[in-house]
Amino acid sequence: MKAYRTHLLVCAGTGCVSNHSFDIKAALEQEIKKQKLENEIVVITTGCNGFCERGPIVFVQQEGIYYQMLKLEDIPFLVEEHFVKHRPVEKLMYIPPDEEKLIPTMSEIDFFKHQRLIVLKNRGRIDPESIDEYIAFGGYESLAKALLLLTPEEIIDEIKTSGLRGRGGGGFPTGIKWELTRKAPGNIKYIICNADEGDPGAFMDRSILEADPHAVLEGMAIGAYAIGATKGFVYVRNEYPLAVDRIKLAIRQAEDYGLLGERIFDTDFSFKVNVVRGAGAFVCGEETALMASVEGKIGRPRQRPPFPAQKGLWGKPTNINNVETWANVPVIIDRSGTWFSEIGTENSKGTKIFSLVGKVNNTGLVEVPMGITLRQIIFDIGGGVQKEKAFKTVQIGGPSGGCIPKEHLDMAVDYDELKKVGAMMGSGGLIVMDEDTCMVDVAKYFTRFLYDESCGKCLSCRDGLKRMQEILRDITEGRATEADLGLLEDLAYVVKDASMCGLGQTAANPVLSSLRHFRDEYEAHIKYKRCPAAVCKEIISSPCQHICPIGTEAPIYIALIAHGKYEDALNIIWKDNPLPSVCGRVCHHPCESKCRAGEGGDPIAIRTLKRFATDYALKTGIEPDIQRQPKREEKVAIVGSGPAGLTAGYFLALKGYEVTIFEALPVAGGMLAVGIPEHRLPKEILKADLDQIQKAGVRIETNVALGRDVTLEDLHKQGYASIFLATGAHKSFKLGIPGEEADGVFPSMRFLTDINLGRDVEVGKRVGVIGGGNAALDAARVALRLEGCEEVSIIYRRTRAEMPAYEEEIVKAIEEGIDIQFLAAPTKVLTENGRLVGIECVRMELGAMDESGRRRPIPVQGSEFSLQLDTLIAAIGEQPDLSFATDKESFDVSPWNTIIVDSETLATNQEGLWAGGDVVTGPGTVVEAIAVGKRAADSIDTYLRGEQFIRTYTVTRPSVSVTPVELTDEEIAETQRPEMPCLLVEERSKNFKEVELGYGEKMAVKEARRCLRCDLDVKTETEVDQDGEVFEKEKVHA
Amino acid sequence: MPKVTINGLEFEAEKGSTLLEVADFLGIEIPTLCYHEGLSPYGACRLCVVEIGVGENTRLVTSCTYPVQEGLNIRTHSERVVRTRKMLIELLLATCPSSKVIQDLASKFGVTQVRFKQEHNDCILCGLCVRMCAEQMDGKAIGLVGRGDDLKITTPFDIKSEQCRLCGGCMYICPACQLRCQGPDVEEAVCNACLNLEPPCLESWDDAMCYMDPCVACEVEYSRKPKVKKEKTSKEQS
Repeated sequence: MKAYRTHLLVCAGTGCVSNHSFDIKAALEQEIKKQKLENEIVVITTGCNGFCERGPIVFVQQEGIYYQMLKLEDIPFLVEEHFVKHRPVEKLMYIPPDEEKLIPTMSEIDFFKHQRLIVLKNRGRIDPESIDEYIAFGGYESLAKALLLLTPEEIIDEIKTSGLRGRGGGGFPTGIKWELTRKAPGNIKYIICNADEGDPGAFMDRSILEADPHAVLEGMAIGAYAIGATKGFVYVRNEYPLAVDRIKLAIRQAEDYGLLGERIFDTDFSFKVNVVRGAGAFVCGEETALMASVEGKIGRPRQRPPFPAQKGLWGKPTNINNVETWANVPVIIDRSGTWFSEIGTENSKGTKIFSLVGKVNNTGLVEVPMGITLRQIIFDIGGGVQKEKAFKTVQIGGPSGGCIPKEHLDMAVDYDELKKVGAMMGSGGLIVMDEDTCMVDVAKYFTRFLYDESCGKCLSCRDGLKRMQEILRDITEGRATEADLGLLEDLAYVVKDASMCGLGQTAANPVLSSLRHFRDEYEAHIKYKRCPAAVCKEIISSPCQHICPIGTEAPIYIALIAHGKYEDALNIIWKDNPLPSVCGRVCHHPCESKCRAGEGGDPIAIRTLKRFATDYALKTGIEPDIQRQPKREEKVAIVGSGPAGLTAGYFLALKGYEVTIFEALPVAGGMLAVGIPEHRLPKEILKADLDQIQKAGVRIETNVALGRDVTLEDLHKQGYASIFLATGAHKSFKLGIPGEEADGVFPSMRFLTDINLGRDVEVGKRVGVIGGGNAALDAARVALRLEGCEEVSIIYRRTRAEMPAYEEEIVKAIEEGIDIQFLAAPTKVLTENGRLVGIECVRMELGAMDESGRRRPIPVQGSEFSLQLDTLIAAIGEQPDLSFATDKESFDVSPWNTIIVDSETLATNQEGLWAGGDVVTGPGTVVEAIAVGKRAADSIDTYLRGEQFIRTYTVTRPSVSVTPVELTDEEIAETQRPEMPCLLVEERSKNFKEVELGYGEKMAVKEARRCLRCDLDVKTETEVDQDGEVFEKEKVHA
Repeated sequence: MPKVTINGLEFEAEKGSTLLEVADFLGIEIPTLCYHEGLSPYGACRLCVVEIGVGENTRLVTSCTYPVQEGLNIRTHSERVVRTRKMLIELLLATCPSSKVIQDLASKFGVTQVRFKQEHNDCILCGLCVRMCAEQMDGKAIGLVGRGDDLKITTPFDIKSEQCRLCGGCMYICPACQLRCQGPDVEEAVCNACLNLEPPCLESWDDAMCYMDPCVACEVEYSRKPKVKKEKTSKEQS
């Protein structure tokens, strides 16, 4: 063979080929010829490199440089720069997501670094279409060793010693299987290589056949010798054309070299391999169905026993193994079973190939030792979840496998451990799912898949799956009852217990495992008509409306803004929300996180559009048409004028009650008035909403504190028939570290309240803030705006990804020059003469996940450092202040110092007393408080009418239908939202002017027109045109 | 001669016989639908499932296909078996309520409701007619076509088969379309009229205590203690 200075290895796996890697190869060759380098550089196509996400891939040997995501136009530049001028091209190298530094060599890339290649050792290294290359890397040596030096029994012993188990899913010990077939009576025996890989998202077998077909053939030949078979079959899906071509070519080459065929290596052993192409029925992966298919019959399973080892193909003893199992055999014979058994865990030896797909950053094929944790596979190799969404679960083992939730991420991956959590190894598909995945929908999808693929022979599988998917469909469409859930579970066990073959016996797994780990999601669909991930269309209508705690009809008002009907839009907004101007600025907008437009671009700026509408109302003076019902006798008292109290008051007033809100502070608005700083929520905006609420008939009395100025008993005596407690959570948690009583240490709530009430607050030059929530960022940004303050540092114990504060607030804080110390926690307040001088902190690192699903920070020993400070603000959370509750008014209080209420009616254990909002749940968001206020109003109303409060749950639907706007092609292609206009950093320093300026009309309409209108239902209907031709037409339904 | 234990009885079975044949020989009644003595076993209706094994490692197998093995412990009417059979009968009723055979099974097993969407089909795809035609009539005029929910029994290409001699064997053996339930209310999914037998011993014993008619369980002193009714555990799930 000719020697070359450099080898260019072009990935020619199916993934890269579909990304035109053959064109890349041709271009490389052409360019190399042009540069007259054809005698120095050779271009070789290899099997799948594994990192399919980054294809097409070219790997440069000997330098080890890794080029990725190549395009045809890059090639001339690449060849000239790298091979003529010897300057590797940095812009084509790999840069890990969220990092800036590139990684030039393959061995340094995280995706490859953590893998251990045994079966895939030749991937991306040799040309799979050249037997010479395979032999050059030691190929067929194991076959020679087996045939010439070992007896069949010795080979079987070696396989047994290795502990190799079937890689197709079942995990049956390979050595024992071979022995059974060997010992079965009969002269004619067969072996089969099962390459009928049909799981959605699995491509391990295809990749092995494409990358190293000779390894499979060599394994089969060794197995045939050990078992005593003379004929082998490779059963491969016809959907894998490249794999079919390569294995056929490999067989021809091996036959030419005498490595297959008659009297191999001049021994008595003869072995022939045939390729049988499967027509793509999933059930043909089941061994008895596969054998029927090889025999030319319908691929339909039959009852075992007899097992294939006793009665297989044409009634003869037959041994079936998966592609990956066969490919392991040459390595074991070469390196010994003992060597192999040292890799992996006690009962699962060697490595396993996984196809890592779904919502993971590094999609591709990975080979890892057994016993590796799922976290290592998904986060270290896979690079974590796409778009920094939260990891929810991973489906392992394809449709017949199970889902594994985040609690088990640190579990070792081996056959037995997976079984314990209700999953299975399967053939090795790993589908990563994020928070936007509905588990009921996933179970429905897999059940539907298996129902379609069931052969239909046995009743339990055919009818059982049909009925299961009917029930699942009912659940996802909001029609199911709780009895249906019980029926589904019972039926699932019957399908599992009673079905004939592997397909049926495992078909219930998606349902059973999701029921095991995510039963609450099923219950949410059935009982509450909620889809927590906002996926199931029939329940949610549109995700933004469904996910909004008060069910704001976002798609409708957005559509109305797009039509320019701002007043109609405002009426839609006012209908559900008495605090729209506030929400237009400070809502945590869960709607945007689920916006469908966010999947392929930016989510629609729903909050900003609401702000646009409310600003329009302020500017033009449009006011909601408040319609009060006839006046009623009963008086209702509300304690606390935060969003929960205001909303309850507003809706009760609309129902005709006389409502008085008592507020302890000198201003109304609760947390909105004192917790949120002026630069985010100007006072006049809050006042606009408060005015409307007062116009509805709500009276607000400030400076009246419960416990101090008035008691519950007093209120009852004054004739208030019902009292709603919405006192909020205003008491800051203590840091719990030495020295925090020193002068100069403030709780964040006191700090923000004082500033908002215009009291004098002295901060020094250097301010430290502890915490990572919105209160911490508010406090930090407020502190920096105060005279005399020069630097502000936030100390947060986790990383930015875990920070609970809104992302846009973090960005603005950093813009304004606030320093955030991530992964640091305070250990001691440093004092001098009782006055704060600084703080000692310790660095943290992230360990295992805690109950909240975030990784727990662990202090790093000896990493203490200190900061000099003049003021320290502790913003690590708040809790309700229940000091007003005297013994007489005792109501049930939880260990977290919150009031316990009935979760449906919000009633406390005291007659006539309700509670809601932060005082019940602990600190929550504005819109959640509004939702509770609405419910309290309903509950109190039914009580006062002497009726029973029964909360009804219905599927989400808009109240009116708005036709979509006509869009130009350019508008349809738009995926980005206009950036929020903000004050410049200089303009906002040392003042409290509102930072965000809101959209102008043109901008708002443009953004509103970008809405995908997923609230509409698109149905495909077949129509016949004038010429009698049938065509499909999409019709939009509201 | 392999020794097996069936419902606590020790028995030396004939080599090569199936569990169903053993039970039959001993007079233990196991319901079947797709099984016929004169035809090869098919294992599709799953009604003849029995529980084999001891302790935690038991599983359900179809008795019509499973051969006797030395030391096999078989329970033909365990709680799990009966629960499974009842669900299977409910599935059958939901598809094909007009069959008297199925209605009788429902009565016998105390299946009194159908919780699935009611259908009215005339075929339960037991495959008896196909085997009858091929094995006894040497016709091979009909076969199973399609997959999954599309599976149906028909002649090749849905046209009249030249192989068919109109012998009527297929209709003779059909449990669904020939013998119609003429119960009090033909429109109802569940008739429950002709037979009604629900063994009361299942609840407390986790086994039907008698396999003979009439039931004598209540009078017989049994060595086993009543067990607490099994909860569905995570083990079953794995």
